[in-house]
Amino acid sequence: MSDDAPLRLYQAFVHQDPASAIKVVEGVRATGTTQDQIFDALFAPALAFLGAAWACDDVDEIAFTQAAVVAEQITSFVTPPSAVLDTGVTVIIGCMHKDRHAVMKNIIVAALRGAGDRVIDLGVDVRPADFLEKVDETGAKIVIVCAEILQTARSVGRVRDMLGGAGRDDVVLLVSGGPFQADVRIAKQAGANGVLRGAESAVHLVAKVAADRLTSAGGPT
Amino acid sequence: MRAGSHDAILAETLARRGQVGPAVAACYAALGEDPAQPGVHALLAELMLAGDFYDEAAAAATKAIELDPDCAPAYLDLGLAYDRRGGMWDQSILVWHELAEVAEDLVTARVQLGEAFAAASFDEEAVDAWKAALAIDPKHPRAMYNMAVAALKREGVPTALPTFRKAGELDPSQDDLFFAIAGIGPVPDVLPDPDAVPDERGALLEAAGVLARAEDYFGAQDLLSAVLESDPADPDALALAGYMYLKQEAVNEAMAVALRALTLSKDCIAAVYVLGVAYAKHPGLGGHAARVLSALAVSVPAHPMPHVLLAESLMGLQRFTEAMKSYRTAVALDPACVRARFGLAATLLTEGRHAEADWEVRRAAYYDTKRQNLFWTLWDAYRRGGEPG
Repeated sequence: MSDDAPLRLYQAFVHQDPASAIKVVEGVRATGTTQDQIFDALFAPALAFLGAAWACDDVDEIAFTQAAVVAEQITSFVTPPSAVLDTGVTVIIGCMHKDRHAVMKNIIVAALRGAGDRVIDLGVDVRPADFLEKVDETGAKIVIVCAEILQTARSVGRVRDMLGGAGRDDVVLLVSGGPFQADVRIAKQAGANGVLRGAESAVHLVAKVAADRLTSAGGPT
Repeated sequence: MRAGSHDAILAETLARRGQVGPAVAACYAALGEDPAQPGVHALLAELMLAGDFYDEAAAAATKAIELDPDCAPAYLDLGLAYDRRGGMWDQSILVWHELAEVAEDLVTARVQLGEAFAAASFDEEAVDAWKAALAIDPKHPRAMYNMAVAALKREGVPTALPTFRKAGELDPSQDDLFFAIAGIGPVPDVLPDPDAVPDERGALLEAAGVLARAEDYFGAQDLLSAVLESDPADPDALALAGYMYLKQEAVNEAMAVALRALTLSKDCIAAVYVLGVAYAKHPGLGGHAARVLSALAVSVPAHPMPHVLLAESLMGLQRFTEAMKSYRTAVALDPACVRARFGLAATLLTEGRHAEADWEVRRAAYYDTKRQNLFWTLWDAYRRGGEPG
């Protein structure tokens, strides 16, 4: 990146010339500066120049505002990538049959999507056969079953049985809910591979499972 | 309260001074003379509530309502007693519903009604109650925080976070942080006259700060221009300008002057604040916001708000465990920080810890109603309206 790039970007702001501003950004990107670096290396110094010009009264209030508008127009070119990259990992999630406690499921769904996973939300009161059907349809290798009451938590084993009966023992079954956290034996009895302890735990555990599967199988999850 | 009841007047005076024990004794003396005084029963309920004697408070408030079904302060104390005691959501819903009818414009009654509904898992009714509260007062932070938590339960953190931030902006405590950092005192009764301020940096900057706090941004800007005219490289003046731009939703302008201020002086904490808040307003700059606000929390460790701001930026990055830690630090520094309590509740929900989350919301309600001094507002209105008998 050339040393005068921030100055040229600042000048484009002041001249209210978004096209030139974008040209400066693209020029910097062409030198190998990554998207993550552009904001700090180029945009922030250019804004600091603009602030200095305003303080010195080199630009008046109206010109300052107009320059800020141009800065806004090119923000999407300089901010770090906001959309998380698609991990390619498909996760099927739902609340166990007869369980309608959706809060934790909803939070986990949002967190996994935020992490770039492809989440198929089956909703609440999901029968074991519906999990299997969706696994067959999508080829997903990770299933999360949520259960917040003891009765439904104890019945999660039916999902594992259903998957096993269909020859889908390769599917990783993760469980979420208070009963599993209170007594991990319930999860083991259900044939679960892991217990999620919240949204952050879900993101980490799914990423770990996906990474392990990629390492061992060399294929997508 | 009936005229001539010396003990009742004494009880009120003592209660207003916070002398709970003697005030309780005066209430009992007044009721010994005449047990049919709803105002005194309501006062007794408030005093019991202050001492966290919830059953006694509920009993006194119930008696007041029996004597006068329009006794609004008694409904308030009865509802608060049920809420703080916990496990009495059905009764609580009825009481807040009644208070919302008795005092139609009382936003808090509707907010509390919503919280009682939410605690009883009537989520849709809860949202309706908070919407009714916001219809009366669109800038009520606690109603907004509750809406954010409701959004979190339905759609997760990404949907809830903007509402949390919006509620935070309605909450004056964030502005208080900036003024504390910048050393700007409370707004005086008489605002400084910009034309009469001595042409000296300290006086100009101080007066500009006061005017900014009083939201006279034009007056403040005139004084700042005078400071910058003599020294365009004054980081404190730039930081104050940045704050004012933030308040006017001019985020890029705020960012520009804050970055300039920090180029001049990396130690300008007020500019760090402005930059952190400006970054937090940009959807793609969550990581930048977290870094800057982390520096702010290190620089101002004894104030709860930097930890809250940091926690909110960490929530946006899905670093819920770290966010919870920051919220807990904020709550430890100021147990009455409603924004931190609701944020902590949100992080607890991300771990499925519903009971603890409910507890934090209840504590937020506890401190918020205390801060608002609602009882005395209702009591004074009730007194003006007179009592039966």
